[in-house]
Amino acid sequence: MSRIPGLRRLMRIVRNDTGVARAVDDELHFHLEMTMRELIDAGMSPDDARREAGRRFGDVQRTRERLTDLDRALLGQERRVERWNAFVQDLRYAVRGIRQKPGFAAAVVVTLGLGIGANAAMFRIVDRLLFRPPAYLASPNLAGRIYFEQTFRDKRAANTYTGYRRYLDLRENTTSFDAMAPFTVNSLAVGEGTDTHEMNLGVTGADFWKLFDVRPVRGRFFTAQEDRPPYGAHVVVLSYAFWQTRFGGRDPLGQQLHIGPAKYTIIGVAPERFTGFSSAPVIGFIPMTAQMGDANPDLKHPWYDTYYMSWFEIFARRNSTVTLAAANADLTRAQQLSFKKQATISKNLSSFDIARPSAFIGPVLLNRGPNEGKEAKVATWLLGVAGIVLLIACANVANLLLARALKRRREIAVRVALGISRWRLFAQLLTESLLLAALAAVAALAIAQWGGDAMRRVLLDETAPGPTAFADSRILIVVAALAVLTGVFCGLAPVLQATREDVASALKAGSREGTVHRSRLRAGLLVAQAALSVLLLVGAGLFLRSLANANGVRLGYDADRLLWVDLNARGTKLDSAQQREIRQSLLERAARLPGVEGAARVVSVPFWMTWEEDLRVAGIDSVSKLGDFTLQAVTPGYFSTSGTRILRGRGITEEDHAGAPHVMVVDESMAAKLWPNQSALGKCVRLNADTAPCNTVVGVAEDIRGSDIGKRDMHYYLSIAQFHPETGGLFVRTSAPAADHAEAIRRGLQPLMPGASYVTVTPLSQVIAGETRSWKIGATMFAVFGVLALVIAAIGLYSVIAYNVAQRTHEMGVRVALGAQARNVVGLVVREGLVIVLPGVALGAAIALVASHWLQPLLFQTSAKDPPTMVGVAVTLILVAVLASWIPALRAARVDPSVALRAD
Amino acid sequence: MLAADLDLLQGTLDLLILKTLTWGPKHGYAVASWIRQTTDDRLQIEEGALYTALHRMEKRGWLESEWGLSENNRRAKYYQLTTQGRKQLRAKAAVWTEYAGAVFKVLKTT
Repeated sequence: MSRIPGLRRLMRIVRNDTGVARAVDDELHFHLEMTMRELIDAGMSPDDARREAGRRFGDVQRTRERLTDLDRALLGQERRVERWNAFVQDLRYAVRGIRQKPGFAAAVVVTLGLGIGANAAMFRIVDRLLFRPPAYLASPNLAGRIYFEQTFRDKRAANTYTGYRRYLDLRENTTSFDAMAPFTVNSLAVGEGTDTHEMNLGVTGADFWKLFDVRPVRGRFFTAQEDRPPYGAHVVVLSYAFWQTRFGGRDPLGQQLHIGPAKYTIIGVAPERFTGFSSAPVIGFIPMTAQMGDANPDLKHPWYDTYYMSWFEIFARRNSTVTLAAANADLTRAQQLSFKKQATISKNLSSFDIARPSAFIGPVLLNRGPNEGKEAKVATWLLGVAGIVLLIACANVANLLLARALKRRREIAVRVALGISRWRLFAQLLTESLLLAALAAVAALAIAQWGGDAMRRVLLDETAPGPTAFADSRILIVVAALAVLTGVFCGLAPVLQATREDVASALKAGSREGTVHRSRLRAGLLVAQAALSVLLLVGAGLFLRSLANANGVRLGYDADRLLWVDLNARGTKLDSAQQREIRQSLLERAARLPGVEGAARVVSVPFWMTWEEDLRVAGIDSVSKLGDFTLQAVTPGYFSTSGTRILRGRGITEEDHAGAPHVMVVDESMAAKLWPNQSALGKCVRLNADTAPCNTVVGVAEDIRGSDIGKRDMHYYLSIAQFHPETGGLFVRTSAPAADHAEAIRRGLQPLMPGASYVTVTPLSQVIAGETRSWKIGATMFAVFGVLALVIAAIGLYSVIAYNVAQRTHEMGVRVALGAQARNVVGLVVREGLVIVLPGVALGAAIALVASHWLQPLLFQTSAKDPPTMVGVAVTLILVAVLASWIPALRAARVDPSVALRAD
Repeated sequence: MLAADLDLLQGTLDLLILKTLTWGPKHGYAVASWIRQTTDDRLQIEEGALYTALHRMEKRGWLESEWGLSENNRRAKYYQLTTQGRKQLRAKAAVWTEYAGAVFKVLKTT
């Protein structure tokens, strides 16, 4: 077709660089020849004509070069346009395809989105734990955490915590480091009066700032002059977030902040997201010398000159001219010198030759080093599970695309017959699957954002929101890479299938013709998916039952209704009479606060702090050999406050005042242990010495759980008036869930506190939550991935059944024409779904039974072969299978025989 | 004479070519002859420059080309105006007319 009307098109000019040069030659040659002919016609001799033609033209050679350059540029331009147009066309084609089959597209996007999203969410956690260096860290390759190694009891162990004398020794005796700083996170009381809260602060040295590439957004950081033992300057650098919330972004410099027992002057603000080496947010940074000076005012045993306290870690940056091996040798030398110095002071240090101390600079991220935490292992393991889920999702999508490609055989064959190149076809199909993957990537980001925060809460117990997934370049890269990878991988199968298709046979065949494409591979894939779903769901079910069992255990006290009030002196000096009075007035005030049903004083808290004394009982050689007995000292009203039932005798009452005969209440387990088959009432127990006064047992209480939810351990109760009335805190019982009252009660009690001292109020349910966390993690993670696998398997099953039904429309038409009832047809299709799923369920259950051996220790009062769980999961899967085949089955039953038989 | 000054009027050559092509597709030789005949040989255009202009305008999208057969059945490259080329012609012609009018006005004031 000619673009120029009236012109007969000639042969195609080769569209490449030599073709361009030849075309220019041809054009110029034609011109010169025409000119010569004209001149000869006018009567010139051929030689003169040639000369004249050349003269008129000018520099032929230069023109030729210029024209060639221009045409080559034009060619390049045209090719770019063509490529762009082809891409736009492919995109349009893909969009049209998606709009024609929105259900299909939704299935693909949801499946891939879930698969990629689960991986992205897990990656966020693994990245935080294992890969991402702390924000603003300067030269992460040179920075590190210092590890100390020594042999103790024939075991070589690495440790990171150390003390200030060691830190000074290492600083003094090494030459390989540009900067070396101590760092730890302390929870300190911040604020005054009723606004006092315990908050996390980074406690560090002046060198700390050199380890980061960071500038203060306001003011300055503290200097070496302000960080000198014995007592550093009281200066604080605020974190950006704290500055914003506490000062609303106003100038805070020069203002005072009450931290611990002292007032600190605000000298600067760190930039956003800066947390030093802390993984959790901190409100600011103070010199370690200042904080330790506050905490240890007694300089008879100077805190900076002892090897005995270990409370911080050392971070350092190696000089870039020093190799890692040389730096480690340098560190080890310094550490050995320090060890020898320590040995001259300390008598009970193990000998140098046995301990063989050494040191090295390891990864900044603790989980990369030799002492990695459990959560990093779990997270990595879960990332593997997420990877398998993605693989299955991917296979599923390939399945869907393949089914669709088969449906479009004829359309594709027509396109091939019309002269579309294989490459263009390839590009078209790939564009389609990549477009679907791109949509899935957007869904995945949303899942990573929402799911990632939830997972971090469960897995890492972190409530602070992480950086948003949409703005995090690392997450974006991972999601994009996964999307491209899965897009290409999933798109490949149908592409290969389509480009291999024999045009003629595909054109000739109607969709009815040929065999029904029932691939064994696809069925096998579905069996594997079902099995995996069973496995994960069984895990979820077992952990859920464990969690329910753990939550259902009768603790012996009403954790949900109890608050624990703790007292902190914060530098305020009180004598023992004052201590007693404060506690008494707190108790009286607490009992009168709104929403409070009762209050009592305590000295120990289940799972948190325990108190033990040596017990003497007549007739028993060594009570301590019979087990651990935990002491609780209480005021009257304790048992009604805590909800612990008195089984026999009485509780602690007003009559048990300081001057009265000493009494004791024991719990059932203790009574049974000490006086089997006898009544405990009236028995005598002495504390610490056989000559101590007799504590007469006046009551037996029910057992409580205080160290392990699954274990009954032994407790006894004394009257606090007869024990140490100047110690302990309070239990407060509230009318509604205790957590709701915590802040109001803290505000009600704080005004009673003298000086800078303060109270903290903690719901007991928080303590219990820590105990049941592992089952919660297991239940949540298995449930998340189990449901994910189930959804994907259901989509896969649905797509395969739907496809098979579509393939068998003709057959269904025949059946209906021959008199098959709708329910026969539905049954036929549903049975097909079950045939695929049942072996999967059996396989999954078999694997779950085999794996139960390893799972058992992780469960709580639940058998790893728990029949209800197994049956429940199997039923769930079968129901899902029936549901997934139901919709295509109904479609099959609705086939109009006249239409089905006439088609094609 | 005029030929020497033509370089100064770079846009003028483009204008002439565009105008020439309004009468239909032409190959380079025909464009050159047409200009020569229409101006009674008074504008002697260097033909190398003419071809350069043709190719440059093709690259800019003002012209498109195709190989075809000439009157004497020879292979020749034909150029034709694109929509964009027509637009250029209108704009350039307007500017040129205005410019020439102004110069002419100056010359006429005696």
